[in-house]
Amino acid sequence: MYIIIVGGGVVGFHIASLLAEEEQEVVVVEQSEEVLENIRQLDVKTILGNAATPKVLREAEAHRADLTVAVTGSDETNMLTCFIAKELGASTTAARIRNPEYSGYFVTSGKSPSAPRKVIRPKSLGIDVFINPEVEAAKEIMSILSSFYSTPIESFANGLVQIREFKVEKGTIVDKPLGDIAFPKPCVVAAIIRAGGIIMPSAGELIKQDDRIYLVASREHMDELGERFAQPQRPAKSVVILGGGRVGFLVAEGLQRRGVLVKVVEGNINRCQEIAAKLEGAAVVQGDGTDRDFLIEQGVPSADAFVATTESDELNILCGLLAKNLGVSRSLILVNKLGYIPLAEAVGVDVAASPSLLTARKIAHFVLHGGAISAALLGGKQLQAVEFVTSPTAHVAQRKIIEAGLPKESIVGAIIHNDRVIIPPDDSVVQPGDHVIIISPLPVTPSVEKLFK
Amino acid sequence: MRIKVVLHYLGLLIAIVGLSMLLPLAWSLYYREPDSLAFAISTGISVVSGLLLWRLTAVGEGRLSRREAIMLVAGGWILASAFGTLPYVLAGTFSNYLDAFFETMSGFTTTGATVFDPVVNSIESQPHGILLWRSLTQWLGGMGIITLFVALFPILGIGAAHLVEVEMPGPQAERLTARIRDTAKALWFLYLGFSVLEFISLWVAKMPVFDALAVTFSTMPTGGFTPTSLSIGAYNSPLIEGIIIFFMMVAGVNFGLYYFLLWKRQPGRFFSNSEFRLYIALLIGACLFIVLNLTMSGVESIGEAFRYSSFQAVSIMTTTGFVTANFNVWPAFARSALLILMIIGASAGSTGGALKVTRLLVLAKYAYRRILLFFNPRAVIPLKVGGNTLSERVVSGIIGMSILYFATLIVGFLVMSALGLDHVTALSSVAATLGNVGPGLGLVGPTANYLCIPALGKVVLIVCMLVGRLELFTILVLLTPSFWKWR
Repeated sequence: MYIIIVGGGVVGFHIASLLAEEEQEVVVVEQSEEVLENIRQLDVKTILGNAATPKVLREAEAHRADLTVAVTGSDETNMLTCFIAKELGASTTAARIRNPEYSGYFVTSGKSPSAPRKVIRPKSLGIDVFINPEVEAAKEIMSILSSFYSTPIESFANGLVQIREFKVEKGTIVDKPLGDIAFPKPCVVAAIIRAGGIIMPSAGELIKQDDRIYLVASREHMDELGERFAQPQRPAKSVVILGGGRVGFLVAEGLQRRGVLVKVVEGNINRCQEIAAKLEGAAVVQGDGTDRDFLIEQGVPSADAFVATTESDELNILCGLLAKNLGVSRSLILVNKLGYIPLAEAVGVDVAASPSLLTARKIAHFVLHGGAISAALLGGKQLQAVEFVTSPTAHVAQRKIIEAGLPKESIVGAIIHNDRVIIPPDDSVVQPGDHVIIISPLPVTPSVEKLFK
Repeated sequence: MRIKVVLHYLGLLIAIVGLSMLLPLAWSLYYREPDSLAFAISTGISVVSGLLLWRLTAVGEGRLSRREAIMLVAGGWILASAFGTLPYVLAGTFSNYLDAFFETMSGFTTTGATVFDPVVNSIESQPHGILLWRSLTQWLGGMGIITLFVALFPILGIGAAHLVEVEMPGPQAERLTARIRDTAKALWFLYLGFSVLEFISLWVAKMPVFDALAVTFSTMPTGGFTPTSLSIGAYNSPLIEGIIIFFMMVAGVNFGLYYFLLWKRQPGRFFSNSEFRLYIALLIGACLFIVLNLTMSGVESIGEAFRYSSFQAVSIMTTTGFVTANFNVWPAFARSALLILMIIGASAGSTGGALKVTRLLVLAKYAYRRILLFFNPRAVIPLKVGGNTLSERVVSGIIGMSILYFATLIVGFLVMSALGLDHVTALSSVAATLGNVGPGLGLVGPTANYLCIPALGKVVLIVCMLVGRLELFTILVLLTPSFWKWR
């Protein structure tokens, strides 16, 4: 696939490195020479210039691009880039749009005649996909807060099958081989993440404290299976949010709509007033999130969850740790620098959601491989779970999946036959039209893809 | 720095050098010459030791760092030359190891400076295998052994971009395709394609098959080794000279431009390239002035003057170093002009060496801007090449590189003078090896060779050849203490 990435910031860099690792043909367009210098360490072509101009896009050969991803800091540039790329003949375009005003216009139409109508329609702008990193981050945080475990979920096959990460917290299974764990419901262990590295699961593998285990199971079994590894917690009923920025605001708004008690702590008094006006019913306080006494005074120790969403990664980690220390059962934080994620998890902060990583994941959904219809990244960015649809002429069709010649690094998670989930799928024969979920390291994914075409 | 990872890839590289010896081995077996044993043993030694090194060292995770890439390229060139000496040593071609190493380094760096003595140990008396190996080392070194390595093996992954950048001549290695491996493949494909064309043309022009192959192997990389003592002059054929002039000029152009011309069908991008235009203009200008000088001083008739001056100007400027006329006896102006062409060299991104035309262009524009700034210090004058404004960072890189180039030239000149060589020989020997040209002036002139240089001088020139081929920084950075600290 030929992919143009516009903007070489954190998100652009991340997507580029991901796609380069998968050996796709990637071109990065960026205006700043210094930023481009950093991109050059990747195996991608670089073009210096403003991508929102036909000249630069023509140089990037937009006419033959399978995917154009605009992720510069400016919404307007991103929209214009997609528009021009589409005019030049690009097939799929994706833009990062942060301003909720724009994205709001995209999704909802006005209810009353005086309300703004859909002035800007994504199709007329040539944008096929729009991504809002802040909204993605807020969604992720809310989905974690409303479930029993503090770990992210990936859904497949219209939500029938889930892949979920669990952190090993229970001592009873530590130092036992994986094969000895009796699972109450059928499931597949897709991977074990230990100290940042991936371990392919085998029956003899001993489980260690703090391992992260990826489990594939059908949706209704997931919570029960999770009890093997971690202590379930009740969904949050009261949440303290640090930082009233876009993500903090979106989380507060979303939680409030679900009837959760929300308190927003924000340092800037003007911003406090702004969000207090928009969030009626939520408590908005002005103060310093690193002040221990202040947090106690604001009732942090008795809250169900603490969410740090400021612009500063360091502040988020520190405050998340402080809240944990004060006795909050769940402490979620937002991290932009990917390098901080293992660090944050190591010091005991529950989940570190990263807007750039989430955006990259969302993009991964759209860099669809041949017959694939859904894709997700696991374990940072080392593994990819892809849902393939078996075509009638596919190599795997009419064969047992274990005999289909998949690369040895790949694991078959599930087969979905006529909306019936088959887990574990080892002995079943793949029929044309079946959906198959395969977990494999990034460089291997293209060779798996071939088997389903 | 992960030394083991570097050694792992170096092992593979040595094995490739060993495998390439199979071609001369085939020729020597065909002619049933005694050097076939030497080639068989050297292939064995190189392949076995390379694969052993490869097997014994583990490959680490993650991409190659810039420092590792520099170590790999510098180490690769030195080791390739070390293993490349094996056929000469085992066949007893030279009386000492230093000469063998000089000849090999001169081959891989596409210099073409030889230490064969025309009287005692003439080139014609050498077996075919040895002669082919001389030319083959140049062909491998021309487009770059590391670039070939990147094109052949996908194993290097993301770190490969650094490798190609470090090895490629020119201020900025242009990415032709998104993946560096495809760029490396395209470059080698073009290189191979031109080589095949040249071989066929020479063969049609009635050059013996073996000579056509050997000459092709040293024209496309702008090398300069020939299987004759008299170089191309030995064939005494205007047609052959014309063919070689054409392919030398082809080799001296940025290969990236051919990619745009042939793949992307953008002839405008090819012909309007400012470096390409200056390169052609300099060649034509130099040629005309030399013709004028030769005819006015009565050395040659006008026809002969055209024939020899065009061949020599192209041969020297593209840093090939083929010879059809003894330009050592030409008048002072013609010799000076050739010496200057020797220092300027070919285009960036070509297989030629020396300073490169694009750097000359930037230096000239920079100097002009300095003059303008003298009377209006507050003027903002962007430095443009071919319509694109160069960033100050790139300009500063080019100026830094040029300063180092001339500094190396001066230091080399001083050392060679200290060893008792005359001015002309001392300066031209350093210019000819640093620019990977081959023949110089004076004692190392077109009809002479480098055998007369004292041992220490040969060592200095070997360093010059390597430093010149890898454009100084890759080797010089190894001499800085900070490169070795903080690993």
